[in-house]
Amino acid sequence: MAKIGVFICHCGENIAAKVDCTKLAAAMGEHPGVAVSVEYKYFCSDPGQESVKKAIRDNNLSGIVIAACSPRMHEATFRKACAEAGLNPYLCEIANIREQCSWVHTDKDMATAKAADIVRSMVEKVKRNNILQPIEVPVTRRALVIGGGIAGLQAALDIANAGQEVVLVEREPSLGGHMAQLSETFPTLDCSQCIMTPRMVETAQHPNIRLLTYAEIESVDGYIGNFKVRVRMKARYVDMNTCTGCGDCSTKCPVKKISSEFDCGLGKRTAIYTPFAQSVPNMPVIDKANCIYFKNGKCKMCQKSCQINAINFDMQDEFIDLEIGAIVVATGFQIQNTALYGEYGYGKFPDVITGLQFERLASASGPTAGKILRPSDGKEPETVVFIQCAGSRDPSKGVRYCSKICCMYTAKHAMLYAHKMHDGKANIFYMDIRAAGKGYDEFTRRAIEEDEASYIRGRVSKLWLENGKMMVRGVDTLLGKPVTVVADMVVLATAMVPQPNAKEFAKTIGIAYDEYGFYNEAHLKLRPVESSTAGVFLAGACQSPKDIPDSISQASATASKVLALFSKEKLEREPVIAINNEATCAGCWGCVLACPYNAIEKKDIRDRSGKLIKQVAYVNPGLCQGCGTCVTFCRSNSLDLAGFTEKQIFAEVMGL
Amino acid sequence: MITQEKYRTTVKELLSNGTIKMAIGYKPGSTPDRRRPLFIRTLEEADQLVLDSTCMTNLSGYLVTEGLLSDEKRVGIFLRPEGIRSINILAAEYQLNVDQIIIFGFDSTGREVRPLQGRNAEDFTALLSEIKENPPVIHKEPLLERIEKMNAKERFDFWQEEFSRCLKCYACRQACPMCYCRRCIVDSNQPQWVNTSSHTLGNFEWNIVRAFHLSGRCVQCGNCDRGCPVNIPLRLINQRMAKEVIDGFDHFAGLSSTQEPVLASFKKDDTETFIL
Repeated sequence: MAKIGVFICHCGENIAAKVDCTKLAAAMGEHPGVAVSVEYKYFCSDPGQESVKKAIRDNNLSGIVIAACSPRMHEATFRKACAEAGLNPYLCEIANIREQCSWVHTDKDMATAKAADIVRSMVEKVKRNNILQPIEVPVTRRALVIGGGIAGLQAALDIANAGQEVVLVEREPSLGGHMAQLSETFPTLDCSQCIMTPRMVETAQHPNIRLLTYAEIESVDGYIGNFKVRVRMKARYVDMNTCTGCGDCSTKCPVKKISSEFDCGLGKRTAIYTPFAQSVPNMPVIDKANCIYFKNGKCKMCQKSCQINAINFDMQDEFIDLEIGAIVVATGFQIQNTALYGEYGYGKFPDVITGLQFERLASASGPTAGKILRPSDGKEPETVVFIQCAGSRDPSKGVRYCSKICCMYTAKHAMLYAHKMHDGKANIFYMDIRAAGKGYDEFTRRAIEEDEASYIRGRVSKLWLENGKMMVRGVDTLLGKPVTVVADMVVLATAMVPQPNAKEFAKTIGIAYDEYGFYNEAHLKLRPVESSTAGVFLAGACQSPKDIPDSISQASATASKVLALFSKEKLEREPVIAINNEATCAGCWGCVLACPYNAIEKKDIRDRSGKLIKQVAYVNPGLCQGCGTCVTFCRSNSLDLAGFTEKQIFAEVMGL
Repeated sequence: MITQEKYRTTVKELLSNGTIKMAIGYKPGSTPDRRRPLFIRTLEEADQLVLDSTCMTNLSGYLVTEGLLSDEKRVGIFLRPEGIRSINILAAEYQLNVDQIIIFGFDSTGREVRPLQGRNAEDFTALLSEIKENPPVIHKEPLLERIEKMNAKERFDFWQEEFSRCLKCYACRQACPMCYCRRCIVDSNQPQWVNTSSHTLGNFEWNIVRAFHLSGRCVQCGNCDRGCPVNIPLRLINQRMAKEVIDGFDHFAGLSSTQEPVLASFKKDDTETFIL
């Protein structure tokens, strides 16, 4: 016989203002099986919890319902109280009469009636609850960091410095990401390479970090603490164990006119190449698509030039399988395709470039050795027009958000230009100057006041060529009239958008993403570095546009999350797992296929003589995450979910 | 008649040389246009075999009779293209080993019956692909087109009217080769999700559950339709669901014996029209 305790919380005025708790408690006391029904101002408080415990002991209750806030708030609290009173914690249910009732209704009578329905349905459920024991699973203390940009490096170093193992996977031949491409960085104007490359070296040399460059994630299986990750090591055609990085091969390579990705097309590279001089590891790869040998079967100049025989044209992609406990996704961003902006003439006029291209021009390691020279004729531009929000905050081009970094880097560009070209004139078209950050507003003021950047508040509508000069027509909204300025070079502050394969990749690792392809955090405010999947964390611009300080902060935050996870030997998991009824299982294996955690195996049923009678599904309790996908798939209704059994759900529904 | 005679000879041959232990075909029924299943184990029984345009029943369901295939011996079976698709689905859902099935394929146009080339399920892949691309006229139902044109209310009323005749006899389930579960969800009463009574709610529950359980699996053989003693046009529901899975996932049920069940599998390029 059920002896259920119902505890109705006022939550101060939160619930009591809209739900008549006294009436509700009285009504619930009448419900069959309810032994105790009481109300109190704050059941989550210490005396509140004590009264629950006392009621359990005094009445020998077989289950309790706490009618209060969302179970996400205090389910753990009351389960603990249950356990302390000697009742199995899974015999406690929460009826949410705050978020789902008092907060959203205005009519007290109707809200009270609805609260009664909610509580009654939970009473009916808890009557059918079973005693459950938590499941313990081991934690593999090895983190995987995906992406070798600044966010990935920071996360990897923080975790490794705390003494835990890290595997860092980078898709490109070298670490560095976008930050390695930048010239100077705001708001301090320190050289990006100077602060970036030491970290790259530190990462590569760290005893706790295993570095896998030119590698991609092939598949991710498993769950928090126990991921199984397969990494594809793309064939470099260069043996990393013997190569010394002398560079003879690149010098001899006859294909020299390939547009350099690192220099954003402003420089050239060879077919066997390292992306940039400070690459880590400093070992080349062969670009198969452009290599003469791979195209025609002849050449091998690089192989002939290599004195230690490090080049091997027969190399194949290889796979590495890793056991991983936690994953940090730091896959970064790309800049928006400027072809969308016909009116700005990108692609049509060679001297219309992107902000990232300007970084390469301004960089000491760039194609012009740091001189601002325009791509068309190599002359120094006397006037430069910068166009902010070239893509961002423009719903018509599909980007509604602010890319966050452009205001700052455009100010920086104007400064760098002023520092290098003292007579140069920088005109900046902007919508708003967004310079929120430590030292940021001071920085943009410096660009305006000291480096004399001229800011024009308005958008650009058109760009055309007149007598060999580019004419930029826009509007000055502060003066309320159209303006036309001459430009030797135009720099577009293009939007930051997700990596081209961001959505695909999210599906590979099983995390959620937004309409653009930026990865979704578990909670925008309260859990900004956790993904929707337990054990997978997000760092840097793969989540949303971010500058360097933000990316680093977030990366360090993911490291602390990973380390907290690794601080335990075992994870305690909710015993909410699927259970199969072997007698009725038809063995169609739809569940095996549907299970996202590979938790379902085939089990042989044999008679006494050992003859195989049939095969049925078996759910491995260590692997099952209790998502319920198999339960909904199972046509014969053989699978059921502990804690949310069909009997419980049915009773809950019928209790309404 | 020639096809029938040829197949009688083939069945006898395969039985005599031990290739198959049994052949499942058709024999005359209670009226001239009805056929009933024939289980041929001896040469004499083979003489009862009838094969003409009235042989409509999809016999594949008999293959999953418990114990029939457990001795790992081969069984022959007469199947129309839809039946061959059923075999593929049953194999894909691990209910039978496709290597144990010898297929005597046939099809008919008007009253004329013709044999289909091939013996094993995989021999018919090209034929099934062709059917996927150009569905036969038989699958174009004027009634379905009429229903498609109805608004939600009219459609609901239409089906409520049709289902009002449902007796909950489950003949549709018994006739369907896909309903092989040892225990059907309607027979599970802890809890009783599907009402067993023949009232509007129960009738809708049962028929909607059936529609979902068959989506991506129905081959439009029409067994349910012919089995229904009160003539509810059940095939139309499944035909509509088949269209959904074709449009949504390019999934033509039973194309091969290794096809993954559409509701249990996940592809990276699946459309996500319903996810915001």
